[in-house]
Amino acid sequence: MAARKNFMGYVFTAPAIILMLVILLAPVFIAATLSFTDYSLGNSSFNWVGLENYLKMFSRSTYVKMITASVTYVFIVVPGSIVLGLGAALLIHSLRRFGDIYKTIYFLPVMASLLAMAIVWEFTLHPTIGIINKTLASGCGNFPEIFFSLGWLPFVDGSSSWYSTCCREGFPLWFGDKAYTMATICFIGIWQSFGFNMVLYLAGLTSIPRELYQAAEMDGAVKGWDRFKLVTWPMLGPTTVFVVTISTIRSFQVFDTVEAITRGGPVKSTYVMMYAIYEKAIKHNMVGMGSAIVVVFLAFVLLLTFTQRYLVERRVHYS
Amino acid sequence: MADIRLRSIEKMYGETAALCGIDLDIRDGEFLTLVGPSGCGKSTLLRIIAGLEEQTRGEVEIDGKSVNKIRASKRDLAMVFQSYALYPHLTVWQNMITPLRLRDLSSLERMPFIGRFVPGQRDKVKSLHTLAGETAHTLKLEQLLHRKPGQLSGGQRQRVALGRAMVRKPRAFLMDEPLSNLDAALRVHMRAELAELHRNLKTTFIYVTHDQAEALTMSDRIAIMIDGEIIQLGTPDEIYKNPRDRRVAEFVGSPKINILSGDVDESGNVSIMGNHTGIRIRKRIKKVHLGIRPEHFRLVNGNGATDSWPFHVTYKENLGSDFYLHGHLNGSKNRIITRAAPDEVGRITIGETVKVRARQGKPMVFCDNDCRIDVMQEAGYGSA
Repeated sequence: MAARKNFMGYVFTAPAIILMLVILLAPVFIAATLSFTDYSLGNSSFNWVGLENYLKMFSRSTYVKMITASVTYVFIVVPGSIVLGLGAALLIHSLRRFGDIYKTIYFLPVMASLLAMAIVWEFTLHPTIGIINKTLASGCGNFPEIFFSLGWLPFVDGSSSWYSTCCREGFPLWFGDKAYTMATICFIGIWQSFGFNMVLYLAGLTSIPRELYQAAEMDGAVKGWDRFKLVTWPMLGPTTVFVVTISTIRSFQVFDTVEAITRGGPVKSTYVMMYAIYEKAIKHNMVGMGSAIVVVFLAFVLLLTFTQRYLVERRVHYS
Repeated sequence: MADIRLRSIEKMYGETAALCGIDLDIRDGEFLTLVGPSGCGKSTLLRIIAGLEEQTRGEVEIDGKSVNKIRASKRDLAMVFQSYALYPHLTVWQNMITPLRLRDLSSLERMPFIGRFVPGQRDKVKSLHTLAGETAHTLKLEQLLHRKPGQLSGGQRQRVALGRAMVRKPRAFLMDEPLSNLDAALRVHMRAELAELHRNLKTTFIYVTHDQAEALTMSDRIAIMIDGEIIQLGTPDEIYKNPRDRRVAEFVGSPKINILSGDVDESGNVSIMGNHTGIRIRKRIKKVHLGIRPEHFRLVNGNGATDSWPFHVTYKENLGSDFYLHGHLNGSKNRIITRAAPDEVGRITIGETVKVRARQGKPMVFCDNDCRIDVMQEAGYGSA
C-alpha cells in the first residue's frame, strides 16, 4: 500500500520533474558535453577533443582578453550602479513629493531596450557628428576650456590638461580608441542599470522601521552620516547582497551594447564573454568552443550565487 | 534629573486636533503615567516631549528652559520604544554602548583604526566601557552581552532597551508602552522591576500605557487622557477612588465600574428603577448615572432586608480568590458585575435572584455629560 502511494506521488510530480529536466537542466548538460567536442552546427558527427577548448581559453590571448574584459566591466559597472542607485534611492526617499516622478525618470533607461539605446548613444558619442564632441569642441578657447583645464589654479599647467590636449589633438573616438571604449561601454551600462538598483533600494528603505531612526536620534546620532552608518546601511544589508548578486550576473551578461556598437573591439578591449559566445558559436559556428565559454560563464554565475547564499546572507539577516 | 513643564501643547494633523491644550507639570524624579484608550494622543504627547514630533502650539520646558528649538538628540532624554527598536545588527553590548559613543566621542574618534590614534581616545573608551558595564550589571545582562537582539526573548530585549536608555544617565526616561509586547506573567514581573528601577535611579519617568493596571501599580501620579485632553491628574488612589469624570471612572478599574441610570425626585433623592438608594444631590436635574464598582456591592442575606436590590445572576466567574457575579438588577438590560468572596457564593446558582446593596458612601453620581455630581448626604441607609 505504502509503495503504491509512493508510486502515485512520483506520477503526480512527474510532469514538473520532466519539464524541469528537459527545459532547465538538459540544455546545461548538453552545453557541458559539447564543450568537450569540436562540434559545428550542421555536422552529422563530432570528435571528442577532451579539455582542448578549455586549455585554449586559458592560454590564448583572445580568451584571456575576454575574461579581462568581462571582469573589468563587472568591477566598474557593479560598484558604479550600486552607489548611484543607493544615492538616488536615498534622495528620492527623503522627498515628500515628486518622488514618483523621479522614480519614473530614473527607471526609464531600465525599461527602454538597451539595443535601441545603444544606437542612440552611438550617435551621441560619434567622434565627428556626435553632440558630445561637438559641445566639447565648441568650448575650446572659451570659458569652458579655461575653467576645466584648471589653468587658473596656481602651479597647474593648463595647456597639458586633458581638455586642452584634446582641443589641440582632437576629441576622443569614444568607441574607436582602446583607452576610452571600455569606459564608455561601462558608462552606458551604469546609466542603464542604476535605475533598477534604485528601485530595489527604495523597497529596502521603506521596510526599515521608523522607530530605529527615532531610537538613533534619541541616542544622539545627530549627523546624517551617523544615522546612515547606524541604521540605514546595516538594515539595507539583505537588499545590498541581492543587488550585488543581480547586478553582477547582469553585468556578466552584457551583450547588447557590445554587439551594437563595438563588436568586441577595438583590439578585443570590449570582447566580453556573452559576445564571445555569440561570435564563436553563432558567427564562426564553433559550437564546441562556444559551449566551453558558456560553461565557464555558468561557473562564474554559480560561484557568485553560492557565495551570496552561504557566506554573505547569513551575516546580513540578523534574526 | 529634570522637571518637565508642558504649556498649552496643541497638535493638529491637518484639520484634526490630536492634542488640545495640554498643561502638565512633571516634577523632578516623579513617575508620571499618561494613560488612556488608544488614539487619545498620549504617544503623540510623549513624542512631543522627546522632540521626535513638533507641536503645533505650546511650549515644552525642561528645567525651566524652553526646548522647542532643541532637537531630540540634544534634549538629553532617553526613550524606550514599544518595539524596543534595538539595532538588530549589533550585539547587546554594542547596542548599549552606542549612545555613549555617539555622545562622548567625536566622529574622528569613532572611526575604525584612525580613532585609536587620537590622543585621549583610549581613556574615554575605557570610561564608556565602565559605564556600560555598570548598567549591564544592574540589569543582569552580563550573560547576554555577546548575543544579538534576534537571539533574545521579549523580556531580555526589553531589558536591553532599558539598558540602552539608562547608560547615558539621561535627565528623564520616556517610555512608550514598553511592556505591551510581553506576555501577561512577564508584564506583571517587569512592572515591579520598573518601579524598583525608578526608586533606585530617582530620575523622572514619563510612562505611556493603555493598561490602567500598569498605571495604578507603578505611578506616583497618573494623567488620564481622553480625546486629546487630560481629564484628570492625580495619584493612583485619587484617580481610582475619586474620579471627577465618568470616562475616568469607566477607564480605571477592572472589571469596569457598573453604570446604572437613576431618577431624581423633587427633593434630590436618587432612585434606581424604583429602588431607593438613599443618595441625595443638590443639583436640580431629572436623570443621573450612578457608578458603583464591583467590589462596592455586598450580598445581603435573607429576604427580609428591604433596602437591597434584587439581582438576577446569569454567570459566575471564578478567579480563585474572588468571584465575579454577572447579572442584572430588577430584570433591566444593563449588565452588572459584582464581586463576592468565595464562601458567600458557594450556594448561589446561576439563574437565582439574590439581594445586593451598595456599600455606603461608595456610589458615585455622574451627570448626563460625564461630569461628577457631589453627593449631598446619604441617609442612614445600608450601614455596612
